[in-house]
Amino acid sequence: MATPDASLVQQQLANLKESYKHRLAEDLVDLERCTTAMLAEQGNREMMASLCQSLHRIAGSAGTFGWTEVGAACREMEQQTQIWLKRADDVAPEALEMIRARLRALIGHMHKAASDGDTPPRIDFDAGSEYTDAAVTVVLLGLSTHEGEHMADALKGFGYAIRFAAEAGDILSMSPAPDVLVADQNVLTMSLRAYISRDDVPTALIQLNRLDTFERRLHAVRCGAQGYFTYPIDIPRLEARLRRLATRHTQDPYRVVIVDDDVELSEHFRLVLQAAGIDSRVVNTPSMVVAALHDHMPDILIVDINMPGCSGPELAQVLRLDDDWLKVPIIYLSAETDQDRRTVALRQAGDDFLAKPISDLDLINAVKVRSQRSRQLSEALERDGLTGLMKHAALKEQLDIEVSRAQRSGEPASVVMIDIDHFKSVNDTYGHATGDYVIRLLANLLRRRLRKVDTVGRYGGEEFVAILPNCDAENAARIFNEIRMNFSQLDCVSGEQSFRVSFSAGIATTASSGEGSVLLEIADQAMYQAKTGGRNKVCVSEPTD
Amino acid sequence: MKPLDTILHVEDDPSIQAVARVALETVGGFNVTGCDDGQHALNVLATFRPDLILMDVMMPNMDGPTTLKHLQQDEALASIPVVFMTARIQPAEVEQYRALGAVDVLEKPFDPMTLAERLRAVWENVHGDT
Repeated sequence: MATPDASLVQQQLANLKESYKHRLAEDLVDLERCTTAMLAEQGNREMMASLCQSLHRIAGSAGTFGWTEVGAACREMEQQTQIWLKRADDVAPEALEMIRARLRALIGHMHKAASDGDTPPRIDFDAGSEYTDAAVTVVLLGLSTHEGEHMADALKGFGYAIRFAAEAGDILSMSPAPDVLVADQNVLTMSLRAYISRDDVPTALIQLNRLDTFERRLHAVRCGAQGYFTYPIDIPRLEARLRRLATRHTQDPYRVVIVDDDVELSEHFRLVLQAAGIDSRVVNTPSMVVAALHDHMPDILIVDINMPGCSGPELAQVLRLDDDWLKVPIIYLSAETDQDRRTVALRQAGDDFLAKPISDLDLINAVKVRSQRSRQLSEALERDGLTGLMKHAALKEQLDIEVSRAQRSGEPASVVMIDIDHFKSVNDTYGHATGDYVIRLLANLLRRRLRKVDTVGRYGGEEFVAILPNCDAENAARIFNEIRMNFSQLDCVSGEQSFRVSFSAGIATTASSGEGSVLLEIADQAMYQAKTGGRNKVCVSEPTD
Repeated sequence: MKPLDTILHVEDDPSIQAVARVALETVGGFNVTGCDDGQHALNVLATFRPDLILMDVMMPNMDGPTTLKHLQQDEALASIPVVFMTARIQPAEVEQYRALGAVDVLEKPFDPMTLAERLRAVWENVHGDT
């Protein structure tokens, strides 16, 4: 056997990679042009065949040169075009638009790679290694100087980028458009309302008002508002709404499991949903559903109503025997139009119907709307009502997951126990409503300041726990000292009075113990040290060995 | 058993041709002849007898399975083992290609550092452990 010169091989491969990179970038641009031409010239099957062939070529080569994710994306698009080629009818323009949008994303990805250097980067929209997210931009419009400054200061503490606008016209010329516009109801002009409601403008509107009546709220909805607050503004609630609006676009893709014995049709559904960014899994045999549910944890389940061996409603009833899947909505896919039979199916189990045949676009929209609702509800169930943070039980589960992950990877994870100082006296002096306000203030600050991979939960009354994967004690202490200083400088408002609060924190890392409950205990002891050492402190537990 | 030495590589994508050449010649130490499609391969095979043929499935002019059928009809060529390479590797498809007479089906994209090893394993399989 020949003994190749390793460095020579590497050099040759590197040269090939380099020239492939340029060719791939050009090919993608060509393909994007091809889809544009196809949109102009409906039903051109020759172009479709050539698109399919090119996608196939990239699918087969990109991975070899390190562009695995580009290759995988092209393979999916190739499969999609294969299905179109087999069908006699014309492809919906929306479906082609999706292919074009995907190609554009890949081109953008290649450009980014070209400016970053040679190595193909992972397609990762959520790198999240920083301890703060990219700042969400919030524009304040039409607020009094006092209100505006108070709100700006408070929101900056949560990491938002705040700008002021003097009049409605200023918003129209802002580029890029802000993520959120917080505006007094009196200053909303017709042209601003029209601008906000445009599909290509990502800005969400929160309306502020003096009065809280049903008519005013209805009016706000008609103006396109996605949040409604009355003066004086409850900052923690406003922040919670800002966060929800800002994360709407960046959250995990929706997950769907499709159960249908028609292999080709279900694969078609999967590809259509995949192209729309919905992560779907197909099951062709009803008996395999439970495994797929465990594996994929879907937001919704789509079930064909007529399957050999086990009908859709029967399958739904089987799943409803188990508490674990109670919260997953079951949607039947059916050509059934008889209202009585639909009612019978829904009475047995299941939540809703989608009519077959269904257009690609209708399918995507139906799945998105139902997944979003399902996710909102399940989050509400697992989360503490006051703070929106994870509850005690869910938190302990998460801790066990992170601890075993840390042991597998060998990377340290830190656990932080946080307790608000002199909280009882806040309650006694200012009342429980103000106490709740302080708790929400700290909850929101923690959530804003930690990474997406971190977990924050409300452990008890005024006690919080944070779990930080891939983070040693030193870094955890640095981050929590920053948060501690930030928190202790926030002005809490109660009626006419304003006051400040601090917290104490204790840190333990997986270097001390490999068991979640023991780590919590160690962190709790360190927190107690911080309390006895004068409060408004962060203490790290000494390693025991 | 004669060690694997000469390979005919049939592939329409020039980038893949180039990287396969590095994988098979530089890494594997084989003698490689390259062709752009099935028709081209049949022309070359009129005068050249490789130990093994590595062939893409989907190619313009003449695809892999059609080329294989032509080879099987020619007594002089029918005994040369053919390995397919494809980007769409579904279990059903692998079975289909094997039924046609391919000795193995490899997945694209491939790792250039291990391709030669895999072909050697295929070669040993074809010739049994004699």
